[in-house]
Amino acid sequence: MEDNLEYIDAYFQQMLNPEEIRRFEQKIADDPEFADEVAFYLAAKQSSKAEADQEKKERFRELLSQQPPVINIDGQRHTRRIWIYRVSAAAAVIVCLLLAWYFFIGNSASPREMAEKYMDENFKTLSVKMATNKDSIEEGKRLYNAGQYDAAIKQFESIEQSGAGNYQIKNYLGIVYLRLGNYEKALQYFQAFEHDTLYYNPSVFYQALTLLKRNLPGDKQKAKELLQRVVNNDLDEKESAQKMLKKW
Amino acid sequence: MNLFNKPTLTTDEREIIDSITQNGAGRKKGEERLFNRYAYFIKEAIYKYSLSEEDAFDLYSDTIISAIEKIASGSFQGRSSLKTWLYSIFHNKYVDLLRKKTTNKSSIHHTLSISDLLLQVSDQSKTIVQKLVDKTDWHILRERLVQVGESCRQMLLLWADGYSDKDIAGLMEYKTSDVVKTSRLRCLEKLKQLYRKT
Repeated sequence: MEDNLEYIDAYFQQMLNPEEIRRFEQKIADDPEFADEVAFYLAAKQSSKAEADQEKKERFRELLSQQPPVINIDGQRHTRRIWIYRVSAAAAVIVCLLLAWYFFIGNSASPREMAEKYMDENFKTLSVKMATNKDSIEEGKRLYNAGQYDAAIKQFESIEQSGAGNYQIKNYLGIVYLRLGNYEKALQYFQAFEHDTLYYNPSVFYQALTLLKRNLPGDKQKAKELLQRVVNNDLDEKESAQKMLKKW
Repeated sequence: MNLFNKPTLTTDEREIIDSITQNGAGRKKGEERLFNRYAYFIKEAIYKYSLSEEDAFDLYSDTIISAIEKIASGSFQGRSSLKTWLYSIFHNKYVDLLRKKTTNKSSIHHTLSISDLLLQVSDQSKTIVQKLVDKTDWHILRERLVQVGESCRQMLLLWADGYSDKDIAGLMEYKTSDVVKTSRLRCLEKLKQLYRKT
């Protein structure tokens, strides 16, 4: 059967000559089992593409969250211009106050405080996909977003134990344990996907966050080394790591 | 001044396109730069098209994903600026969204269409295959994709995303593209066995 897949793959990679193409297409018409194999090949590719796009979208969502807020959409759109002026004026005052605060007091924000800020901004909620069943990863994320951390752990761990888990499960488990202050478990889960080849792998950066939060003797130094590794090796969350290192 | 010789792409745009077409480790950074560069389209969609924040994000993300596919496959020829071209995709997707909304389909996420993949197949065979694909349980198939194991899953995702076996070998540290091809087909076979079990 693997031979069939190789044959189908060669067809879709356009590696067959015209005569072979003709025979391939004839086989689809003559052999229902073969046609079914071709359909599966295409369905698998399409399904994988949808999954790859979803991962990309999640990555984009994270990128967007690192940018200044793009919008504020409540209220009446017809009067929004007036509001924009009012809000801008208020914002200008607030910015001045914040700048004053930053230069006189705030500039002393420690790396640990920056780690907490990052967690507040990024780990408050996990993005949930629609239309999934009750025993899915999405259900775990919903529980997390509802503040039901123990139930979320139970949900994620049951998926992990069933063998259906991927790096995302480990990542989510790490995040929940980090929020609960169980730093050993959080580190254990973040370390588990450090060497995986992923589209987005924040493992090393998350380990640094965990160490900064745990704050045991030596943790701060280890966290600094991890952040430097993120920057030097151009790993994911490099910009956040650079910001934290500036505060050292 | 010869307008036809006027370069339409800035250095920055050219760099983004080059990193995406290279399909190697730099592609991801190129994708991120592309997303960040025009992220203000989201704001525009909210104010100009009166979309919700979530719909505007989906609209823009789908635009970027579609643009990445076109750039990676060489369809973008740089006849207009990247922004103009991107905005035309963005606007077309907005029109699609409106159509979907008027037919009570609120989601603007990608639909599972294989028409692009079937372009090269003759009409008679296409009909047969399309009917069989329509019977696919997409939800189960995506669940099984998680169960094939992380390495297989990553390999299949990269393959579906347009990376060649050679690119995958570089990204996933395999020795040769032939090894990737063998592994990829094994992963597909494993996925098929898991899917057919249900």
